[in-house]
Amino acid sequence: MRAHEFNWFLVFVWVALSATGLIAIYSATQGPVSEFLSPNIQNNFYSQVAWFTLAVVVMVFIQFTPPRSFHQIAYALYALCLLLGIATIFWGIEAGGARRWLPIGPVNIQISEFMKLASIMATATYLSHRRNLSSENLGTALMTTLLLFIPAFIIFLQNDTGTALILLAIIPIMLFWSGLPHGVSLLIISPAIITYLTVINWVSGLVAVLIITVAIFFLQKKAWLSVTSLVLGLLVLLGTKLMLQQVLYPHQRARVEAFVNPSLDPQGAGWNIIQATTAIGSGGFYGKGFMEGTQTQLRFLPEQWTDFIFCVIGEEFGFVGTVTILLLFLMLFMKLIGMAGEQKHSFAQLFTVSVAAILFFHFLFNIGSATGLIPVIGLPLPFVSYGGSSFISYSIMIAICLNLDYNKRSFSIYN
Amino acid sequence: MHLSASRRTKVSVRILQSIVLIAWLIILGRIFQLQILDYEKYSPISKQNHLRQEFVNPARGLILDRNGEILVENEPIYSITINPASFDMSRLPLLSELLEMEQSDLLLRIEEAQSYSWHRTSRLVTEVSFQAFSNIQENIWQLPGIGHQIESKRYYPLPIHASHTFGYLREASRDEYLGTSRIRLGDKIGKSGLEMSYEDLLRGELGTEYIRVNALGQALGTYTEGEMSSRPVQGNNIITTLDAGLQQLAEELMSGKRGGVVAIDPGSGEILAIASSPQFNVERLAGRLDTEYWADINSDPEQPLFHRAISSRQPPGSTFKPFAGLVGLHLGIVTPSRTIHNPGYYFRGRRYGDLADPGDYDMRRALMYSSNTYFFALMDMVASRGYLNRWSDLIKDFGFGARTGIDLPSENSGIIPDSTWMNQNIGVRAWGTGDLINFGVGQGFISATPLQLAVAVSVIANGGFRVQPHLVRTVRSPDGDQVHTEKNLQRIEWIQESHLEVVRDGMKAAMTHGAVLYYASLDDIEVAGKTGTAQNPHGNNHGWFITYAPAEEPEIAIAVLVENGGFGSSSAAPIASLLTEKYLTGEINRSHILNHVLNFEPTVEEPEEGLEITE
Repeated sequence: MRAHEFNWFLVFVWVALSATGLIAIYSATQGPVSEFLSPNIQNNFYSQVAWFTLAVVVMVFIQFTPPRSFHQIAYALYALCLLLGIATIFWGIEAGGARRWLPIGPVNIQISEFMKLASIMATATYLSHRRNLSSENLGTALMTTLLLFIPAFIIFLQNDTGTALILLAIIPIMLFWSGLPHGVSLLIISPAIITYLTVINWVSGLVAVLIITVAIFFLQKKAWLSVTSLVLGLLVLLGTKLMLQQVLYPHQRARVEAFVNPSLDPQGAGWNIIQATTAIGSGGFYGKGFMEGTQTQLRFLPEQWTDFIFCVIGEEFGFVGTVTILLLFLMLFMKLIGMAGEQKHSFAQLFTVSVAAILFFHFLFNIGSATGLIPVIGLPLPFVSYGGSSFISYSIMIAICLNLDYNKRSFSIYN
Repeated sequence: MHLSASRRTKVSVRILQSIVLIAWLIILGRIFQLQILDYEKYSPISKQNHLRQEFVNPARGLILDRNGEILVENEPIYSITINPASFDMSRLPLLSELLEMEQSDLLLRIEEAQSYSWHRTSRLVTEVSFQAFSNIQENIWQLPGIGHQIESKRYYPLPIHASHTFGYLREASRDEYLGTSRIRLGDKIGKSGLEMSYEDLLRGELGTEYIRVNALGQALGTYTEGEMSSRPVQGNNIITTLDAGLQQLAEELMSGKRGGVVAIDPGSGEILAIASSPQFNVERLAGRLDTEYWADINSDPEQPLFHRAISSRQPPGSTFKPFAGLVGLHLGIVTPSRTIHNPGYYFRGRRYGDLADPGDYDMRRALMYSSNTYFFALMDMVASRGYLNRWSDLIKDFGFGARTGIDLPSENSGIIPDSTWMNQNIGVRAWGTGDLINFGVGQGFISATPLQLAVAVSVIANGGFRVQPHLVRTVRSPDGDQVHTEKNLQRIEWIQESHLEVVRDGMKAAMTHGAVLYYASLDDIEVAGKTGTAQNPHGNNHGWFITYAPAEEPEIAIAVLVENGGFGSSSAAPIASLLTEKYLTGEINRSHILNHVLNFEPTVEEPEEGLEITE
């Protein structure tokens, strides 16, 4: 063993985030608020401790696995997850309007969480088998898209739009890393940026269209690509406007726009945003103290042990607490992306960068929702939110990254 | 190649790290804004926050009669609401116990609320008992997501039902509540009658109130002095043209019969009374849905939900003669003095019966004795001269053959055939004069509603003006603004005053002999009218009567249809006559006529009418 070569820093970040999560979950379910909660939710803290313990065991086990086994089992795991995902659509347990949980033995497993892991493993395996690491080859790009789109669609059918969005968001990252020209990568992600800005204010959407068009021109120096970008951008802008004003029912539109102005739908989605921002804002610099947040303890926050757990930290530990969490996540992402760059084998590169991307998008969507930066998308905050499937799944991702990092020299020879 | 690939990797790492950093800084900035810059704003909110939003329902507008008497008002009922996202399913047994409702029933309602919206508050149960309401109120802290509110249901203070005309309210359908943000799940909206036609005006605007509550859900008062609250806006009051007393009488007179009556002010088109029988009990549809009763009235073969006064389409029979006469005069087919001989029947390919005595008839006498031969001959000449389409257009000017546009839903347009109609419905070249002759006496394919006949007889009463029938006089907004309905009278250019005189004389004379003299003439007031008996191949004939009074300066015009009532003179005419008496004198002095109507049994013996067609 070369213990000094092991990435202890990443382990530290993982432990720190998990511990913060346990503290927040404890406050959100065991504090004075518990009298408002059902017994199974009061149990969440103890379940999470159990999941943490299980995760440690699994992670240690993964460190003793030969790195090549990951891409050897990738396709089989991918197929298994797809099958289980389809089974969930039909036989899953319904809760909160979504059908996400598949009862396997004594536990309910959220297959979509493992689908993310399997999908990036399969996609990374697929791309690493292409000889020259390039997606300018259209077939490769299409296949990559398909590998991620299929699970996204299955998850969408489970009514779990948030997780499906994550998988779709991985597509441009994978293609970008595999060699897709920068301009084209920008073109692919431009609809998301334009839609987001148009919902806030159509003028900013228009400005984004123009900036992106110019940027693409300077990146690729191809006039037709810029024209495509301009036309696509304008279509997305118009489409978004049309969608908001013509297609959506008024209450749906209000839900989408609630994050811009919660008072548009104070009875619905705006309510959650008002409560969430109030919880964070009223935390101030030092917070109200452990188990003393009124928003948290009087049950004003929806789903405060999962989707809105960031509000619990914001309210009870203040700016100090939120910045600590933010810094831990920043270190996690920077480290993971850096690790990907140091890898020689393309599977290891792609897998590590995808893990970074998945965790980053969760971070962005979860905290964005809680702070009213984006419409509310129900996604957990990795390692912090309550949830066995997600915790185990993300921990496995980290464990594999650790393994690949530790073996980066020997693994590169195998290449 | 390898070098450039590794260079690209380095660049990619920098790009991705930059993106992460930019997004991270935006989030940091937002958190800095919330926790440091806006702390002063959020801290007080959270201290007293503990916001609870409650809906304040607007009072639905009242419906009044022409003299300001309240016909339809509101009374309070208690409702339980749910916010599905906050509701804890494990409390379902408690909720079921407090409300004394089956769990499975509640579960269905909860699922419906979920499918509407997880985040919006919907009604769970309406019109719970006060006891159940208090139970919920006491235990509200144990029931996250459950709320309560006081709402109202319709209440009818006078013994007037006018169920078809007022209409009933029912919970909005899925399409309706998803179609507009003004309507929420469980909101009741007008589904028939005036409640439907004037839904947007009656409804008002929902108010939202934010209430501060403590940890146990006890209300502490409004939030930020109502800065975020919106007041409910009360619905508009609707002042109808109905006369409460006349309406009540009309309903009493029609009870036990099947048919419709319309009393109208011929000078303005204002409906004074409108009744359809059988009625349904609109009160039983006012509160929580009475499923059994709803199923009953829907499956009743008498179709009580059907507004016969505006939707029952029947051949008008002899009540059609005055209008056929006016058109005949205008087309120059006859002159007021021209006589037509009646040998006791009319022959054209076959015998058409006439019960009037044989002799010579001019228009006045033909109306007086309701001679069929005269009007068969008239129609024969219309048909043989190829005037059918002109005739049809002129008849339609009285309001026949098209919806009158009254402010009620589901009006029937009746039928006045022209050659296109005949071609479509009988077949091209499959019809001839023989199919048209009956039109002259309001039989055959012709059909009309009581409302159309009331509008048409108004034209004769008011000197040739087409009126727009309407039920609402004034809409009064909560701040007192009033909008009045305009009269909208239009002179039908082709009707000559001299022709009108002849027809009016005929209709006055028609009241001076036979059964109508007994049933429908008044001592001090001269009345004009015309009976009709429409042939019904499925059962007893339908009785019709149209009238206006006083004959010289008419204040009221009436059309009555008694389905299967037999002769119009004994079934429909006394109803119209009693309404006229009540409206013009304020009371009813002819108790024998009243008793006749209240205990009416259809008879088929009186040979007064003369519509029987013998072959």
